[in-house]
Parts: sequence; C-alpha cells; structure tokens
Amino acid sequence: MAPKIRENLAFRRVAGELFIVDAAASRLHELNGPAALIWEGLAAGKSEPRIISELLAEFEVSEKEARSDLREFLGELSKSGLIL
Amino acid sequence: MTARPAPVFFETAGLAAAFDFPEAAFRGLVARRYEKFPAAAAPFYRFSALSIPGSQAPFRPAVREERGILRLKRGDFDCVLDLKTGSGVLKAALRVQTFDSFLRSFYSWALLREGGMLLHSAGLLKGGKACLFLGKSGAGKSTLSKLAAFVPHPSSLIPHPSPGAEVISDELNLVRFEKGRFVVYGSPFWGEMRNEGRQGVWPLAKVFILKKAKRNKISAAVPGEALRLLLRCLMNFSKSTETSAAALDNAAALLAGAEFARLEFTNKDAGFLNLI
Repeated sequence: MAPKIRENLAFRRVAGELFIVDAAASRLHELNGPAALIWEGLAAGKSEPRIISELLAEFEVSEKEARSDLREFLGELSKSGLIL
Repeated sequence: MTARPAPVFFETAGLAAAFDFPEAAFRGLVARRYEKFPAAAAPFYRFSALSIPGSQAPFRPAVREERGILRLKRGDFDCVLDLKTGSGVLKAALRVQTFDSFLRSFYSWALLREGGMLLHSAGLLKGGKACLFLGKSGAGKSTLSKLAAFVPHPSSLIPHPSPGAEVISDELNLVRFEKGRFVVYGSPFWGEMRNEGRQGVWPLAKVFILKKAKRNKISAAVPGEALRLLLRCLMNFSKSTETSAAALDNAAALLAGAEFARLEFTNKDAGFLNLI
C-alpha cells in the first residue's frame, strides 16, 4: 500500500512542473519528471507496483532503478512532512 | 440627538465596501486617506468600525474562514465578517497604517475568491495599458517606479522631464480576470513613494520579472521561474487549502493568459521604458 499525501496541501501541474503549496508551513515545493509522476500517482491513490509500472512506461529506467528511485523519493517526501 | 455620521464608501478592483464609524476622528482619518477611491456600486461588504488600542505585533495577519465566517486578526486589528450577509465588525487601532493593513489583508483574500490577486509588484501605466513588475522587497519596485515617474532625488539639481509613465503603485497591484482578459485596477496601496493612487481599470499588457542590473535588457521568461515568483509575490495570509488552491489556480491562469518577460534594469535612468 502506497503512503498517503498529507491533508491541506494544494497542488497543480503548470507548464510541465508540479507545484505543491504547503500553506501551513509557508513552503512551495516543485517537482518534475519522475517525481511529479510519483506524486500524481500517490494523489490518485495508486499502489506502489502501479506507480513503478508507470515509471517504466514513461522513463528509460530498469525496474530495479524505478523501485529504488521511488523508495528514495518517498523518504524525501516523508522528511518534508508531505506524506503520512 | 446627534445625527449618525454617513458611512465611508470605498471601492477598488470592482469590490465595494462601506464602513460605519461611530467615532468622528476614525471616520475622518479613513475618509481623507481614501477619498480618491469612492464606491460607485452598492457595497456588498459593510463593516461597523470601532477603534481599539493595540500594537502591530503579531505583524503577520491571521486569516481564517470557517462555517461562513471570515476572521482577519493582527495585533492592531480584529475583523469578523459574515460571508452570507456581507456584514462585519472591524476593531482597529486608530491609525491610517493599521486601516491600510486591514484593507490589504481583506482585499488579498477577496481577490483570490474572485479569480484575481493582490500582487507585490510595481505597476506602470503606459499608452493606456498596465505593465506589472514582480518583485519582493529589495527587487527594485520602488526604484523602478521612481525612475518611471522621474521623481528626482531631493539633492538633485538636474531638471527632470515630464513623466513617461504613470505609476499605478510601487508596492501592491490589484489584478482581476474580466471579459476574457486580465486587467489591473487603480491601487490605494503604496510603498516608499507614499502616493494615494487613483481609481481606474486598465488592460494588462505584460508582466515582468524584475532584476537590477548594469544595463537594460529584456529576455524571455521561463514559465517555472515566473510561476514561482508569482506565488511568492501573491499576497495571501490564509493557510486554508481552498485559498492555497485558488492562489495556484489564479497564478496559473495569469501565467497562461498574460505575456511574461524578464527585465534587467539599471537604476541610472528610465531607459527601460523604451523596452517595455
């Protein structure tokens, strides 16, 4: 089961980049490429295997790399307090 | 029996408000400061305004919207507004600066709801169209505005030509989307230039990302950079998800619907006016 995005965050994809506004912390986060795809996957409630298969379809990475990138990025999101 | 003083009617960005002041001193202060911004339309918002003691701390206003009630609170003002009826009570320290801060907070919230925004920017009027120059403190908004208006330094002995552009505001400008285009309204909110402003509405020609430099130069703006700066320059004191989403949506709409460019400008003269 994939982690959940914290409540009270506003996000939109604009000009190819994904912008996340964390009003409570007065912070703006910007994501692009695989990171944006992962975030949108989490936002849509997709499972980790599904997000990995989308990363494989969209970017030239091996399954091992995709899995490792996803784990690393989820760790960063957790540290930033953006996911539960 | 004493006659109740007439309310002060205020309007900018097409949003009118009426203020009832039981105290003549408070009324006089506000009426004088905003006399160039009378309401043309019937006001939807109506406030009873009372003076209270209070210091500016905390300086940053807290804006909360809950169950149809809007609360705007700072050390020197406290406002509760019923959003269904448009009626509210404002308690504020008897100072023009306090009332101005309240208006800025209130209009920043109201404009986001209306698809617009209050932007930290310099606004110039040239050829009947408005240009906005985005920048936070120190970016050069006031410098650029003074150059555009040819405001001489007090010690300057050099004669100055007539202004090449009218300054709409050197600090905060009001933007709305109307009839398929973005427009800029006359602003009563000023920075260093301390003007009173005037009412008006003008089509938005261009938005510039401002940068101080050794020479004047225009270049293309990168969308990501423009949106990042827009969000930083957009005044929003609310921490609600809805308001953050509105800020993102409105900024994205402005990015899509208006022309953006980078302006590097020198503080030597107003030569940048020939480039915009």
